[in-house]
Amino acid sequence: MDNTVEKQENIRKGWDGISRFFRANSIWMLMYCTGCCAIELPQAMTSRYDMERLGMGPMATPRQADVLLITGYLSLKTLRRIIYAYEQMSTPKYLVAFGPCTLNGGIYYDSHAVINRLDQYLPIDVYIAGCMPKPEAVMNGFNDLIGMIKRKEANGWKKYEQNKDWYRKNQIQALGELRIKDEFHE
Amino acid sequence: MNKDIKNLVADIKSRFELVGEDYPKDDQAALDFNSRDIHSVLAYVKSQGFRQLSILSCVDWIKDNQFQLVYIVFNWETGIRLQVRTRIDRSNPKFTTVTSIYPGAKYYERDVHEFFGVEFEGNPDSYKQLFLENWDDMPPLRKDFDSKAYSDRKYPVREYAADFSKAGDKK
Ligand code: SF4
Repeated sequence: MDNTVEKQENIRKGWDGISRFFRANSIWMLMYCTGCCAIELPQAMTSRYDMERLGMGPMATPRQADVLLITGYLSLKTLRRIIYAYEQMSTPKYLVAFGPCTLNGGIYYDSHAVINRLDQYLPIDVYIAGCMPKPEAVMNGFNDLIGMIKRKEANGWKKYEQNKDWYRKNQIQALGELRIKDEFHE
Repeated sequence: MNKDIKNLVADIKSRFELVGEDYPKDDQAALDFNSRDIHSVLAYVKSQGFRQLSILSCVDWIKDNQFQLVYIVFNWETGIRLQVRTRIDRSNPKFTTVTSIYPGAKYYERDVHEFFGVEFEGNPDSYKQLFLENWDDMPPLRKDFDSKAYSDRKYPVREYAADFSKAGDKK
């Protein structure tokens, strides 16, 4: 009896390892180019640094993407849309934040329109330093993310699901209401 | 100041009462009018080739208790940029819409209403939100709005426990 449980556990672990291997080597990213940090992504994507050698490529829709890149400051208006995009993504999903704007507000720390700490509203797996981060830093950040996925450390999405109430409370506190209400959604 | 601007200003002077003038650049003129004249001035300059309302801007002169509305119009034939300016009362900021002359002003008026709280009578759209969603304070571009206090109140700041200075290093 014990033997079968152990066997099943081993099989599960094996599959888990295989799926993590494939996940880590085939990452589709959704870019939400909110701030100026986005300007370093073209270099990282194209021939000079060529992120495709890491198995990363751009994806058009949230539902098909694995990683969401938040490139810089977020105004309340974009935060609301980012939350839509993040919640549409299927698990496992990862979130990479660029620059000090996502960390503590950066140079927009006193702005009425820009949030200070993104980790209050969404779980972040990797921060990339630099204002704006150089392409080397961007590539390094992606390498870190890949390593974290392999080592089972990129658990932001689990954290989000477990602490959804806390995140929701913060989101509502900043946004008032989550629903988008503009001309296009009337 | 180039020839076109000279002629234009002389022409406008002969028709309307000018309260002030300024020439920030060679191809630019800034003319101040009484607020009751603004609509006729705009209608007139539009008929003179200023087909484009580039933007409607607003300046908060808090010490004078006034808002200044700046209509920047552009002439594609001569390349002249004309600022038509007027001042309105700040404590009860109201103006009449210019959407009948420049329909595109619909969005600019919405913008000014959102950021300065100026009401544009005759433009029902100007009350809708444009950039700010669910705004819960005074219009944010007024000079007496404290952006830092608002940010601190609304968005949590990150506390840093570690001391990264040299003194901290030694400990
Ligand atoms: S971190 Fe710097 S480069 Fe990035 S969005 Fe903020 S201000 Fe722009």
